[in-house]
Amino acid sequence: MTHTMQTKTLHPAAKLYADEYKAGLLDRREFLTRATSLGVTAAAAYGLIGLSQPVQAQTANIQQGGTLRIQTLVKAMKDPRAYDWSEIGNQSRGFLEYLIEYQNDGSFRGMLLESWEVSDDAKVYTLNVRPGVTWNNGDPFTAADVARNIAGWCDSAMEGNSMSARMGGLIDANTGQARDGAIEVVDDTTVRLNLSAPDIAIIANMSDYPSAIVHESYDGGDVYANGIGTGPFRPVSIEVGVKAIIERATDHTWWGTEVLGGPYLDRIEFIDYGTDPASWLAAAESGEVDLLYESVGDFIDILDAIGWSKTETVTAATLVHRFNQQTEVDGRVPYADRNVRVALAMMVDNAVCLELGYNGRGQVAENHHVCPIHPAYADIGPAPFDPAAGKAMLDGTDFADYEHELITLDDDWERNTGASVRAQIADAGVNIKHTVLPGSTFWNDWTKFPFSATTWNHRPLDVQVLSLAYRSGEAWNESGYANPEFDALMADALSIADAEKRRDVMAKVEQTLRDDGVMIQPFWRSLYNHHNGNVVNAEKHPSHEFHLYKFGFAA
Amino acid sequence: MAFFLLRRIATMLLTALCLTFIVFWLTNLAPNLEKLAKNQGNVRMTDEQVASFLQDRGYAQPLPLKYAQWLGVAPGWVIEGRDGTTRSRCNGALENGVLPEDARSFCGVLQGDWGYSTVFQDGVGSIIATRLGLTGKLMFWVMMVMVPGALIIGVLAGMREGSRTDRSLSTVSIITTATPEYVSGVVFIAVFASTAFGLRWFNGSATSAMENATFENFTLPVMTIALYGMGYIARMTRASMAEVMTAQYIRTARLKGVSFPNIVLKHALRNALIAPFTVIMLQFPWLLNGVVIVETLFNYKGFGWTLVQAAGNNDIELLLGVSVVSVFVVLITQLISDIGYVYLNPRISVS
Repeated sequence: MTHTMQTKTLHPAAKLYADEYKAGLLDRREFLTRATSLGVTAAAAYGLIGLSQPVQAQTANIQQGGTLRIQTLVKAMKDPRAYDWSEIGNQSRGFLEYLIEYQNDGSFRGMLLESWEVSDDAKVYTLNVRPGVTWNNGDPFTAADVARNIAGWCDSAMEGNSMSARMGGLIDANTGQARDGAIEVVDDTTVRLNLSAPDIAIIANMSDYPSAIVHESYDGGDVYANGIGTGPFRPVSIEVGVKAIIERATDHTWWGTEVLGGPYLDRIEFIDYGTDPASWLAAAESGEVDLLYESVGDFIDILDAIGWSKTETVTAATLVHRFNQQTEVDGRVPYADRNVRVALAMMVDNAVCLELGYNGRGQVAENHHVCPIHPAYADIGPAPFDPAAGKAMLDGTDFADYEHELITLDDDWERNTGASVRAQIADAGVNIKHTVLPGSTFWNDWTKFPFSATTWNHRPLDVQVLSLAYRSGEAWNESGYANPEFDALMADALSIADAEKRRDVMAKVEQTLRDDGVMIQPFWRSLYNHHNGNVVNAEKHPSHEFHLYKFGFAA
Repeated sequence: MAFFLLRRIATMLLTALCLTFIVFWLTNLAPNLEKLAKNQGNVRMTDEQVASFLQDRGYAQPLPLKYAQWLGVAPGWVIEGRDGTTRSRCNGALENGVLPEDARSFCGVLQGDWGYSTVFQDGVGSIIATRLGLTGKLMFWVMMVMVPGALIIGVLAGMREGSRTDRSLSTVSIITTATPEYVSGVVFIAVFASTAFGLRWFNGSATSAMENATFENFTLPVMTIALYGMGYIARMTRASMAEVMTAQYIRTARLKGVSFPNIVLKHALRNALIAPFTVIMLQFPWLLNGVVIVETLFNYKGFGWTLVQAAGNNDIELLLGVSVVSVFVVLITQLISDIGYVYLNPRISVS
């Protein structure tokens, strides 16, 4: 695989990045994210900066076989394009694989694609399908499968299809389907994507959990029932809210054994312990599970104390206290006024929220939803904190006496962070209350809450969340933010594949978001999980992914 | 007697009908349907998508019609969705848009079709059967611990009213009755199952008990429910025992020189158990109440847990199924207690 890559020409920007890395302008993680998203393999990318790729998978001391029990929510399966929880992706990741895999170190690795090339204007993507891959029913996996799946992602008529918003450059706005000629099957192992507008996030999007690759016989519904995939495991059973089981597909030769090693486990059980971390702890203490999906809040210390092993990953996962600028409350729209939003944001010291809400386990954020680990992050300084000025500003609006209501989910750290935000705003002399809702009520109307906290998962590129969440009229825009100027800046940013050049635009993007008071975004979270000490290669992934083929027990 | 049974069964059906209609109405309120759509489709669906989702799946029909379809007295809907798929209540998504010739048009509770759970993606009938079985297992062990324990404590306390044994046993039973499950359960987990306290005799989670119940993983949930009911039944037994012990015929027996153990076992016990029998039967509905808390706390996926999931996710048909079962459990145990009472106490007649 590395041989084929070396004969191909490197994307010119990758060399630029390597120079920047050597000059100390980039850290290793940023370099890898950028270089690999341009089609450079991780090994080659490490080579560019004079390092050898660290051996990630400890293959030497993994025992073959065993049943791994994982604590995780067990959600109902649906069409992968409508996946809305990382857990659902994990439940099917053992048999439904992805074109691209996002790795713990921030780089992208080809899974069902062997390699890919991006044109310099980020409008033409050439995808090289991995040869020798078969479905577990014996059918060969070809370029036609890739093209069919991508065309499926472009179907914007499908209810809840979250991939269509990410494939904008391939979609014909009139039909809501893939544009003629956008997806071109060149030969059995090559697919070419011709985008109508530059999009640098295509590769990153192909690694996200709704982009699982399904067989042609699958037509919606429960993927466990269909069960045909390219992965090394096979679905056995799923009981929503209780348990899901997958087992090694012994009659199927998995392509990855030669390329990546593994799989090691015979059977994996996903066991649901609800949303209360105390139950997860009870499960860990009673030895009913081997690995936790995620450890949160105070439970991180408690799990350390009972002798479980912790793994950590620094991410761009975050909590955003966003104002909905369009929601009406008693006939008025409190957060339509920019000054109200900016004033409230000025009353909150983000460092305090990190300390009180998340025990300092992360980095202070700057109210613009671009993280220092993102490739094109521009440092525009910390968010302004001046409660007195904020109060004065608020008094100048029509909403000086308005009683604000901050709504958060009843979840350990989200609730605590919300409480710290409320307390600081109240300290500045503003009338505010904090309402904590259980999940069953919260998710009902959450996009329309006037002022509430939303969790966001980590995404590899700076532009990904911003384009999903803050452009006018986007599906995931629950802040009701509609600013043509911002949209124009984003369109600009999305066309610059070179992160160094994009940084100037990103600085403006960040400044616009902050000046418009779109959100109070206190911190970036580090994520943790725990295992009982015998599990190998199950480090917490920044996007909560389980790369099940790597998991195993220590020999 | 036959008339009495008939009247009871009629009451039971009427109660079930009224209760399910109320549940049906509440779960079909507009915000609840919206929640359902977002759970099923995608949490980020727009209002239009929600509307078409509900329309396509028959939720937009008038309430009485939907209720009649659930009951099975009106034909199930067949709706051509805006996404081009035709769906039907009784036969799911239709391949080519028309119902097959031999397809059923009525599918409700009366036809034995309990519907489909939107959360668990499975038939309501089979979910309830599995979950009720698991709760049955829990209940069985609770009864095995609670009933003998309560009777022994009650009889011991009641046979010599005012004695030191009576005082101490009564104190214990009042404490256990006064401690609700959600308090005792948490205390038990903290003391007997956590590293914090260091004992770790038992497991704080009963998930593995669903497949393989052991002393370790099943003790805490069983004790949590049993202790609560035990105190109450013991108090009733004690009162009834104390009353019997002051009766004329007991004094007569004592004067005849019958030994005290003989008096308690042969003369007092049967009469003293009439009242506790009713109380024990009435404990069943209370136990249903308790399992909701305990099953959630110990993550034991039985009937109570199902009720919480169904209510929390607005799973309409599952919640209705759970309600019907609950009504029957409550009323049947009452019926048994009434009939049993007659047999134990010949002075009472049901008709």
